[in-house]
Amino acid sequence: MKNILKYIFLSLIFFASEIIAQDNVELVAQCAASAGNVTYLKDFIVKLDAGIPGGKPPSAKFSMVLSKNTQYRFSICTAPDSEGEAILQLFDMNVLQGSTYISSTGKEFPFFDFKCQKTGVYHVFISFKEGKPGESVGILSFVKKL
Amino acid sequence: MLHLFNPQQQIQRAMIKRIFALLVVSLLLFACKSGGERKTEDEFEVPDDIVNEGVLEISEEVMQNIVQNISSPVEMASLVKSLNADFSGKYLAPTDKVDDLTTSYQQAFHLGIYAADLGYLNIYNKTNSVIDYITAIKTLADGVRVGQFFDFTTLKRLAQSNQNLDSLMYISVHSFNQMDKYLRSDNRSNLSTLMVTGVWMEGLYLATQVAKSDPHPEIAERIGEQKIIMDQLMLILENYRSDKYFRKLIEDLTIIKDEFDDVTITIKKGEPVAIEEDGMLVIVQKDVSMVEISDDRLNSIIEKTEQIRNKLISN
Repeated sequence: MKNILKYIFLSLIFFASEIIAQDNVELVAQCAASAGNVTYLKDFIVKLDAGIPGGKPPSAKFSMVLSKNTQYRFSICTAPDSEGEAILQLFDMNVLQGSTYISSTGKEFPFFDFKCQKTGVYHVFISFKEGKPGESVGILSFVKKL
Repeated sequence: MLHLFNPQQQIQRAMIKRIFALLVVSLLLFACKSGGERKTEDEFEVPDDIVNEGVLEISEEVMQNIVQNISSPVEMASLVKSLNADFSGKYLAPTDKVDDLTTSYQQAFHLGIYAADLGYLNIYNKTNSVIDYITAIKTLADGVRVGQFFDFTTLKRLAQSNQNLDSLMYISVHSFNQMDKYLRSDNRSNLSTLMVTGVWMEGLYLATQVAKSDPHPEIAERIGEQKIIMDQLMLILENYRSDKYFRKLIEDLTIIKDEFDDVTITIKKGEPVAIEEDGMLVIVQKDVSMVEISDDRLNSIIEKTEQIRNKLISN
C-alpha cells in the first residue's frame, strides 16, 4: 500500500511538472504576442518564493548581450494565479536603465522600449512587488534597427 | 486453512500486488504521456558521451545562467536587411551533408549555423528555401535529443503556406530557445555552448560577406563590436578546453579573435533618458560606444572569418 501511494505521489509530481511546463509555454506565447508587432528574441521564466519581511525582495537575474543602434522591447507578464505582481528592471552594470514599475509615481507599464547605443552585457532583474511569491514571464523582443 | 497463513505465500502475494501496482501506474503514465507533444522518457535518454564530463572551471549551475543572447538568429539578419543589402543564397551553409554529422558536438554546432541561416531566410521571407533548413535542423535536433522542442510539422506548414510569417519566426526562435534551455538544464551546457557558437559564427560570416560585397560603415562597426561578444564567447568556450573538440574550436576561433586586437572601442558616458513615444515608455541610452576599425583590419577579419567558418562547416 505504501509503495502504491509512493507511485501515485511520484506520478502526480510528474504530471504537475508537465502542466507547469505547458503553462509556461502558453504564458510565453501570450506575453510575446502582447508585446505587439515586434520580433520575439528571448523569454525569462521566473518563479520566486516570498521574501523575508523587511528584507530585499527576491529577484531573478538574466544576463544578455544587447547591440548598439537597436531598439529592444522588454515586456513583463504576471501569471494569472501569481500572488505577487512582477517588475522587470534593466541594468547596465549597476546603473538602472529602465523599469516596468516607477516606484516614485506608482506608474506601471506592461513593457518599455530600450534604444541601445552601446553593445555589451546587460542584466535583467525580475522581482515581485513587496517581495510576494509569484510567477511571471519576461520577454525580450527586437523592435527595429535605429 | 493453514496454507493461508503460510509466510512464503504471503510474501509472494505481496510481491504480486506490488508488481501489479507498478504495472498499473506505468501503464497510466504511458497512456497519458503518449498523447502529448513531449516524448517519452526513453527518448530523453542521453548517451554518456554527450553529458558534460571532466572538471568545469565554472560550475554547471553557473553555466546555466551565463550570458544569454550572445548571438541571435534574427538580429544580424535584421541589420543586413535594414541596410538594404540584397538576399544571397551564397551566404547560406549547405544542408546536403547533414547525415554525415554524426557526433553530438558537430550536430550542436551545425544546429546553431542552420538556426542563423533560418533567421536570415525568415527575415527575407524566403519561405521556399526554409523547408531544407527546418528539415536539417530537425535531423540535428533529433541527433542531440532535443527534437521534441522543434515543431517541425507546424513550421513546415507555415513555410509551405507562405502565410503567418510572424508565427514562423516566433516558433523558429522559440524552438531554438527551448532546445538551448533544455540542454542547459540537462547538464549539457557544452552542447548549448556549441549551438550558440554556431549562431554567432554564421552571424559574423553573414555580416562579413555583406561587408565584402556591399561595404557600409554601419556593418563595419557591427563587425568591430564583435570583439566584445567574442570575449564573452571565448570565456564560455574556455570552460570546456579540456575536451579535444573544444580545444580545436578555440584554436580556430582564436585566429579570428586575434584579428580584433587592434579594434578600439571607446565609451562616451551619459545618463539614460526616459521619454514617452505614442503613449509608450521609451528609454534612450546616452552611453554611446564607438568603434574604430581600419579598412585593412576589416578586410583581414572578413578573410579569416570566411576561412574559419568554411573550415568549421566542412568538419
